Amino acid sequence: MTDYQTPSTHDFVNEWAHGLPEKLLEISNLRTYFFTEAGVVKALDGMSLEVNKGQAVGLVGESGSGKSVTAQSVLRIVPRPGRIVDGSIKFEGEDLLSKSDDDMRKLRGPKMAIVFQDPTTSLNPVFTVERQLTDILMLHRDLTKEAASKRALSLLEHVGIQEPEKRLKAYPHELSGGMKQRIAIARALSCEPVLLFADEPTTNLDVTIQAQVLELLKQLQKELNMTMVMITHDMGIIADMTERVTVLYAGKVMEVADTPTLFRSPKHPYTEALLKAVPSVKQTRALEVIPGNIPNLIEPPSGCVFNPRCKYAKDICMKQEPPLEKAEEGHYVACHFWRELKLEGRAG
Amino acid sequence: MSQSNPKRGASQWAVAWRRFRRNKSGLLGSAIVVFFILVALVGPFVVAYPARSYRSLYEGDAGSPPSFKHPFGVEDSGIDVFSETINAAHNDLYVGLAATLITTLIGVAVGALAGYFKGAVSDVLLGLIQMFFVIPVLLLILLFARVFSVLVFKGLGLTLIVLILAFFGWSSIAFIVRGETFRLKEMEFVQAARSLGAGSYRLLFRHIVPNILSPVIVIATLNIAGFILTEVVVSFLGFGDPNTSTWGLLLNEGFPYVRTSWWVSLFPGLAVVFCVLGFNLMGDGLSDALNPRLRE
Amino acid sequence: MASLIRYVIRRLLFMIPVFLGVAILTFAVGNAAGNPINLIRAGLRNPNPAVLKALTEYYHLDKPIWQRFLLWLWDLLHGNLGVSISGRPVISQIGPWTFTTLELQILALILAIVIGVPVGVFSSKHQYSKTDYAITTTAIFGYSMPTFWLGIMLIVIFSLDLGWLPSSGAVSVTNLWWGNNILDWIAHLILPTAVLTYVELATFVRLIRANMLEVMRQDYILAARASGLSERTVTYRYALRNAISPVITIIGLGFGAALGGAPALETTFSWPGLGYAFTQAALTLDIPLVEGITIVITIMVLIANLITDLVYAMIDPRVTVQ
Repeated sequence: MTDYQTPSTHDFVNEWAHGLPEKLLEISNLRTYFFTEAGVVKALDGMSLEVNKGQAVGLVGESGSGKSVTAQSVLRIVPRPGRIVDGSIKFEGEDLLSKSDDDMRKLRGPKMAIVFQDPTTSLNPVFTVERQLTDILMLHRDLTKEAASKRALSLLEHVGIQEPEKRLKAYPHELSGGMKQRIAIARALSCEPVLLFADEPTTNLDVTIQAQVLELLKQLQKELNMTMVMITHDMGIIADMTERVTVLYAGKVMEVADTPTLFRSPKHPYTEALLKAVPSVKQTRALEVIPGNIPNLIEPPSGCVFNPRCKYAKDICMKQEPPLEKAEEGHYVACHFWRELKLEGRAG
Repeated sequence: MSQSNPKRGASQWAVAWRRFRRNKSGLLGSAIVVFFILVALVGPFVVAYPARSYRSLYEGDAGSPPSFKHPFGVEDSGIDVFSETINAAHNDLYVGLAATLITTLIGVAVGALAGYFKGAVSDVLLGLIQMFFVIPVLLLILLFARVFSVLVFKGLGLTLIVLILAFFGWSSIAFIVRGETFRLKEMEFVQAARSLGAGSYRLLFRHIVPNILSPVIVIATLNIAGFILTEVVVSFLGFGDPNTSTWGLLLNEGFPYVRTSWWVSLFPGLAVVFCVLGFNLMGDGLSDALNPRLRE
Repeated sequence: MASLIRYVIRRLLFMIPVFLGVAILTFAVGNAAGNPINLIRAGLRNPNPAVLKALTEYYHLDKPIWQRFLLWLWDLLHGNLGVSISGRPVISQIGPWTFTTLELQILALILAIVIGVPVGVFSSKHQYSKTDYAITTTAIFGYSMPTFWLGIMLIVIFSLDLGWLPSSGAVSVTNLWWGNNILDWIAHLILPTAVLTYVELATFVRLIRANMLEVMRQDYILAARASGLSERTVTYRYALRNAISPVITIIGLGFGAALGGAPALETTFSWPGLGYAFTQAALTLDIPLVEGITIVITIMVLIANLITDLVYAMIDPRVTVQ
């Protein structure tokens, strides 16, 4: 009979609580399941995340790891058939899961926002840019139509859009990908939220535009003193944009550390593999591919969820789920063998 | 240490079949269709009265309401409604299936050509498709049916009706096929095949057509329902073949007497409703099964 | 705005060949026996010689066929639709018939939309619930039955059996129902409108429901929610606007089909509209009348489609781009 214990995040949450900068977001042991015809998909299965005010935090993992669902869970807009079944989410000290839907709606926009991955699908095709921005402004800021339009115009300027008057009256299908994403960013920032989730904001864009959009996000974050959670599968973006990073796999946390530390000395095999999969110009050895596929979230592997693809896996990995343990100050890892393994990091 | 190899991926048809099996209304629809097909094939040999038989008149039962002997009652002319309804089944199904077969062939051909080739050919074909979409088709069908029944001395015959229905009914399939062909043409697997030397017709028929089968199957199934309904209307109005048993003909014969012999209008109508319902449910079930929309 | 106008003009230009196509088909059928007179003769034992003479002139039988077609078309476009075998000019009868058909069709269409859209949206928001199931089942029955058959059944129940409503005609000449002219008119409208509305409703409900389910899955809906917009706004302003475009097209086509399907429904209720007239004319091979009605209905259908194209373009501007 397999005996696995759910990792207690109590320990490391307590650690953080001692005299440190103000915690903006505290997710603890969150489970978000999707109740589908094919079975119960455990998109998030006991994940925890901590974000301090003003930080730029990364949430990294392959597709299907539950990164987007995290953002949706915090804003409580998880689409059907999904539901938050367990755990707690605290924002500015308040428990979000006990809030009424009306109260949550007041937070969405003014307090927290999401920039979605694909601007072609995240903008409503039948409304003008102006309409999509003013609807939000008029709702949350109680502005008149004219005032909202003016504000929308200045928002577009702020995100670096040329000829903003024209773009304001345009429909999404008339604009390029980069422009659409800037508008999506403008929309997310329209009510000056404290917390921004950037969900793979550059994945669907041309490489040349990617850099521009990332620059824009960096700049805006500094200007507005915003707390940003950068959700991505790209370790390069993590290195560039974040101070602290959480590695997610199959809905569970594998490793948490400051970004430089994670890169220099990863302690989880999955992190090592992710780092190895990123090409670099100086590289001379072949790219290593992580074998296998993301696991079936309806029937995840027993024991450590990563064990089928882990090259260091031993017997115990298939039987017991490793708890999230503290390796050093501010560095946590969920692996049975983090002490023994000497993993390769990256210098650059 | 990797996990043991997962089972080999299922073909898209196997997946669709599995999904169809789980769709209750689709299964119900298929059951109804199968039932009607059986009734149509076997029924005529089993019922008490042959098609268009006025025997009940001589038996003194003309115009009698439903009874044990005549479950659906008898027409004022002496035709037993129950037997006639069953005898008519194969004719209505014939019209539905034959018209669908022809329109599907025409529709796929025209649609594929319209979607694959660019320029004037495509535009003209699209215009043609849209034209048949827009015009009041039933009126023309009635007109054609009436005129041909007068000119062709043998009367209409079901096949002529089938041809008329088919002439006006291929546009729905053609439209969808055109859209799908157009979309698939631009997809990478087609570019890949072309780069390996495949010519136009090979591309069209080996690569593109198999991928458009899904929506075509769904629409074809729904078309069967539609053609049966159209035939019923045509025959009800008196534009059909007065010598062939069809449900529409029964309704036509029953209508003048609806005050006194309502059963002649009720039961054949119910037969139509359930037969068409069967095809509609089956079509819906197929649509859900073949449609990759509900990806988890 | 400019692209909208250009789009409408494009659609208008498209309608012209369609109209010509129908004209050709109609003319072809009318001349299937060589010329329309032969066909008329096939239907009538003793045609009125004066009428035949008038028609021979009208159809220009002395000229080659392609000229006959063009002259006929010319006459048509100038409102000259010839005389029916009864001797009366076709065009004079079409007016009242058109009105009678339209009052039924338009009323039913409006009701079907007004009831169908909210019901469809409701159904999509409560997917898998018992109500949703009931609604979907009722809808499927609705478009699985011959419209006229439902009419017959309702006549049997409400008119012949219960005597609550009239069984035929659009108005009564003597013995007004319910007291006065207006109420009499309404009484006559109830059954055929109910039947037509139900059948059209069935299609709309299913379509809206399906489209809403699809649209609600989209990212921009999730984004709208993420911006704090109320569920009501998200559903009715953001989602419905996207879900309804295909329905607009279907409404247009459906109206066309309903107009074309008028013969059966109107025959059932002896409703003196274009459909009823068409049926009688076709059965008696009154070719000029048949041709006239077909052309008029076609024009109405084309106008309806043009209107729906316009509405569609106003709702979803993407379509104005080529």
